[in-house]
Amino acid sequence: MEDYAEEFRTPPVTLISLVGCPELHPTISTYLHSEQPPINTLALPDFSKISVLGRTHKETADSGQPGGILKRDWLLKHRIKVPAVVATLFSSDQVAGDPAQWLQVCTDLENLKIVLRGRNIKLVVVVVQSTDKDEVTEDRMIALRKRAEVDSKYHLIFIQNDASELKQSLKRLGSALAELANIYYRDEGRRIKTRIEKKNFNFIELNIRYCFKVAVYAEFRRDWVEALRFYEDAYRALREMVGTSTRLPAIQRLVEIKTVVELLHFKISTLLLHGGKVIEAVMWFRQHIASYKTLVGAPEVVFLHWDWMSRQYLVFAELLETSAATIPGNASLILGTSEKPSTEWEFHPAYYYELAAHYMREKRCCLEVALSASETSKRIESSSESVIQSVFVGQFARLLEQGEAFVMQILTDAEYVQYALAEGKRFQDSYEIIALLKKSFESYDNLNARRMASYCGNQMAREYFTLGEFGNAKNLFDGVVSLYRQEGWITLLWEVLGYLRECSRRLGSVKDFIEFSLEMAALPISSAAESSRCKGEYGPAGPPAFPQREMIHREVFGLVKGEPISTSEEGNCILAITNDEPLHLEIDLISPLRVVLLASVAFHEQVVKPGASISLTLSLLSQLPHSVEIDQLEIQFNQSECNFTIASASKETEVASSVGETVTRLKTAPNLSLVTNKWLRLTFDVISEQSGKLECLSVIAKLGPHLTICCRAESPASMDDLPLWKFEDLVQTFPTKDPALAFSGQKVVQVEEPDPQVDLVLGATGPALVGERFLVPVTVTSKGHAIYSGELKINLVDASGGGLVSPRETEPFSMDSHHVELLGISEPDGEGESQAGMDNIKKVQQSFGLLPIPFIQLGDSWCCKLEIKWNRPKPIMLYVSLGYLPNSEAGAQKVHVHKSIQIEGKTAVVMGHRFMLPYRRHPLLLSKIKLAPDSDHSQSLALNETSILIVSAKNCSDVTLQLMSMSIEMDDDEIGRSCTVQQGGDIPLDNAFLVPGEEFRQVFSVIPELNFPTLAMGTVSLRWSRKFGFEEQSRSSVTATEVLTRHRLPDVNVEMVPLIVSLECPPQAILGSPFTCYVRIRNQTELLQEVKYSLADSQSFVLSGFHNDTIFVLPKSEHILGYKVVPLVSGSQQLPRVTVTSVRYSAELQPSFSASTIFVFPCKPQFMMDDVGSKSLEPIAT
Amino acid sequence: MIACVAVVGHQNNPLYLQSFTEADDALKLHHIVHCSLDVIDERVNNPKKSGTTLNEAFLGLLYPTENYKIYGYLTNTKVKFILVTTDLDVKDADVRNFFRKFHLAYVDAVSNPFHVPGKKITSRTFAERVSNIVNTFWLNTAV
Repeated sequence: MEDYAEEFRTPPVTLISLVGCPELHPTISTYLHSEQPPINTLALPDFSKISVLGRTHKETADSGQPGGILKRDWLLKHRIKVPAVVATLFSSDQVAGDPAQWLQVCTDLENLKIVLRGRNIKLVVVVVQSTDKDEVTEDRMIALRKRAEVDSKYHLIFIQNDASELKQSLKRLGSALAELANIYYRDEGRRIKTRIEKKNFNFIELNIRYCFKVAVYAEFRRDWVEALRFYEDAYRALREMVGTSTRLPAIQRLVEIKTVVELLHFKISTLLLHGGKVIEAVMWFRQHIASYKTLVGAPEVVFLHWDWMSRQYLVFAELLETSAATIPGNASLILGTSEKPSTEWEFHPAYYYELAAHYMREKRCCLEVALSASETSKRIESSSESVIQSVFVGQFARLLEQGEAFVMQILTDAEYVQYALAEGKRFQDSYEIIALLKKSFESYDNLNARRMASYCGNQMAREYFTLGEFGNAKNLFDGVVSLYRQEGWITLLWEVLGYLRECSRRLGSVKDFIEFSLEMAALPISSAAESSRCKGEYGPAGPPAFPQREMIHREVFGLVKGEPISTSEEGNCILAITNDEPLHLEIDLISPLRVVLLASVAFHEQVVKPGASISLTLSLLSQLPHSVEIDQLEIQFNQSECNFTIASASKETEVASSVGETVTRLKTAPNLSLVTNKWLRLTFDVISEQSGKLECLSVIAKLGPHLTICCRAESPASMDDLPLWKFEDLVQTFPTKDPALAFSGQKVVQVEEPDPQVDLVLGATGPALVGERFLVPVTVTSKGHAIYSGELKINLVDASGGGLVSPRETEPFSMDSHHVELLGISEPDGEGESQAGMDNIKKVQQSFGLLPIPFIQLGDSWCCKLEIKWNRPKPIMLYVSLGYLPNSEAGAQKVHVHKSIQIEGKTAVVMGHRFMLPYRRHPLLLSKIKLAPDSDHSQSLALNETSILIVSAKNCSDVTLQLMSMSIEMDDDEIGRSCTVQQGGDIPLDNAFLVPGEEFRQVFSVIPELNFPTLAMGTVSLRWSRKFGFEEQSRSSVTATEVLTRHRLPDVNVEMVPLIVSLECPPQAILGSPFTCYVRIRNQTELLQEVKYSLADSQSFVLSGFHNDTIFVLPKSEHILGYKVVPLVSGSQQLPRVTVTSVRYSAELQPSFSASTIFVFPCKPQFMMDDVGSKSLEPIAT
Repeated sequence: MIACVAVVGHQNNPLYLQSFTEADDALKLHHIVHCSLDVIDERVNNPKKSGTTLNEAFLGLLYPTENYKIYGYLTNTKVKFILVTTDLDVKDADVRNFFRKFHLAYVDAVSNPFHVPGKKITSRTFAERVSNIVNTFWLNTAV
């Protein structure tokens, strides 16, 4: 695009001219240039310069056969020389001055008018004033306007000293100028258009020229539609000229037409693209190319045609690229029409750049032919010196010096061809091509079209290759080759590898050369049929065929064996592998050289004992066209002491001498020759002494004296197919003979630990009891070897799953949230508890413990005890693992022994309690009457009355327990002190054994002393310990630990009692002998209580007294009912039942059956009980 | 006239490529076929943009180069057929017809129990059938 002159590349800009008052010119021209649309200014300082605007004589003589189609400088002339409007500036004192000055103004104006008339240039008269006052008289102004023959619209007053007025004046001037310029260009366009319409021309060249001019004038007016139409008209007219014009010699004729058509096409494309009509532009371009592609021209200048073609593509690509921003977004494009579909790439500059490069290559090719054909190249240079471009676009002429003047002489075709050839030689087409391809490459890369980009890269690299820049070429080829490898395009890969190989050779890189050669030799090109069809260019490696592969194979192995290869044609530089620089190749899992050498390693077992031998199959595969002899193979493992070397039987001694003492393990194989596509299977035994993983890492093959190939070992089970070869129709082969091993074989084997010769015993005696420190003895006995730096790991795991911690159940009196915890580890000699810090590191956590154990000699044993406490009944698994070294050597490996045991945790004691009332004493508890019996949750106790509390403890375990004490601990606060609790009875608890299932009871009397709605009763503490049997005690040799079990008593309800009914009668009676019963009703209130009572008859007794009555009990006093009763039947008998009803509280009190039962002796018993009886029967005075 | 036909597997690897030109541009045809895969990728990934309808195996003109036009066809197993012609004026219907016949030949070739799917097509019968189809295509369009 840069080849075109500026005036063609940019849209034309209106030109006006300023005459007079030069001091104002910069202001005005700056303003006009910043206008939208901008206006260019041609500033003439005074009237003496106006002649430049005039028409020259040559131009007026416009008749006869035109010399060409378009004049080269016509457009430039209109852009910089011929203004559309001239603005004359007169200062006000000039106009208003003395007659001499006025005369001068008139003369200048006249002269100007004469000049302008010839070109129809419009005129604006401006009078410059310093202020807005009328400095010039009205008459003078009118006179001036008359003289200038301008409309009053275009006769302006310009005020320069006031800023706002200046702005106004500039604006006025600007709009007047723009308007007039528009009129001028329209008139000019119309004038020429009429010529076209009237067919007022004899030559087709003129038609084209007129169309062009109309279009340019339309462009000046920014009438893009009309401009486009006339450019297209010109384009069509020009196409008709092809073959009809005879004005110039044939070659030059075509050159001229093509040059002009290129210009027209450029204009059209620009207008279309800037108008956003991308599809139209692409279609137009396609049409343009289609109609001119075949106009090749004379054979000796074909290169000019290809040059022209290349330029068309390049320019269109650049146009597309620059207008890419204005394209409304590719997604909405509808690609072409149904009969002329267009494709994605046709909207991207990359496509055009690539084709431009293609035609440029074509041009270079033809130019070379043309140059070689013409033997007169020396003469050309001399004669082409004075050839220049002529007045007309696309024409060339010889400039001859004739005295003072220069004369243009039209060239003959032969001269022109010479000139063109000389010009063509000057350009370095290769770099041009590379630049084009580079643009295309980048553009395709951005579009994510990798294959297109690769193709461009490939072509670029080939250009560099032909230029001899092998470094650049190699870099580019390297970028391309991976894609072809990945997608398996063998032919393309062959070509690129061929170039790469050649580049490496020229660059003297032995390693690359060998790598590329090996890869090429192992490419899947086999069939003879394919090779016969290979024609054309395939780069330096020749056509992809089997013989070529063989040749490369021979060449590379010749090099390996020490036959050098020259790196250049002259043979002065030599490529060789020498002793000083041995070559080492690495083949990993993704290397393209896997096809050259593939190593698969499979152990026959998955697990092996240390020291035992295991079979290992090593399989090697190569796709090289000929068999390869391997000198020696080195197998490397992660345990380096297992490494070994394989040599073929014939070379054993040779290898043995070369490897010397460094490798002690040398094995032999009958044959180490790799045949094409045939697995070489070798089976060996390996012995590993070290436990852990044994993995085969790599196989190093030594070929020739200085080449080693390190091949990463692969497991047959997880081996990928060979790249490229996997698409070939080959028979599937397995790396091992055993197909099962081929599918499951691994290059890794697990070497087990040596067998432990140590006993680890966990001695647990039955279930554990909640709360106690349960002891688990752990015994370590050395059986086979001594134990060095042993370590015990202890783990407690919930046997039923889940953790030992449950955050939901937080116990109120145990801050410890662990249900089962490891408290400590006691050592055998008792010298240290778990916390006693020795220098050994010992860690005990709640569920985990770590304990170092001392050195134990062979046959000795060591014991410790684990203390575990259960806070909740829960079964747990106890895991103990012992890790130790069997000997004290540095490289010894740890041996592990694991033991586990499940231990049940059980609740030892279940505690209960019960409240009772004193015998035959019934306080009226109002809360019992009010509430329904089932909703009575808390026990009610009478205030200041004695109640009985019975606490029971039941042994739920399987062992006998020994109870130490039972007591009630009151809360030590005000509420706690409001109640007296006394332990009833003096039963000594010492040696109170509780066999399994037995229950122990303790009686307490409780007297609440404060009227308090809810009274905390405190906690029962029971101290107990496990009772060991004699033999258990001797075995464990520990004393039982005391365990405290707590039982919280519920809160009770304390209330005032209004009435207390107590029944008083002797504990026993004698048949027939009368006795007295009293019912004592005590009123504890301040109120008079009405009480009804009734007495039921009984068959066993005869009684005297009222059966029923209503009595009144005075406040704070007592009423006693007395009965005389005679028992009639012996045995345990029910006394006549008394029912007392309080009218105030609607409450009925009836002594219970047990309370009203009495034993009747048939006769007076023979033991002394009078003392007791007399004491209890003592009547209580009211 | 048909310059080249190709079958490309779903990993974009060539399964069959046959050129029918006398000129020495076999390598160039390889490149052209390879490059056309970019267009197929583009069409398949952005079906809206290219306006092709669903269930349409024929992909139409992929792109024109300086001397060739390349047409594409995508089977439901993601195997691509690519046709390179030197005729710059070929009717879509003819190409469609060609691809239909070609597809049938391909299906027959891969239905061979000895053919391993995903490997190159080496069947001689297939090659003969393809050259038949190519020759008749030339005759049809020439008439």
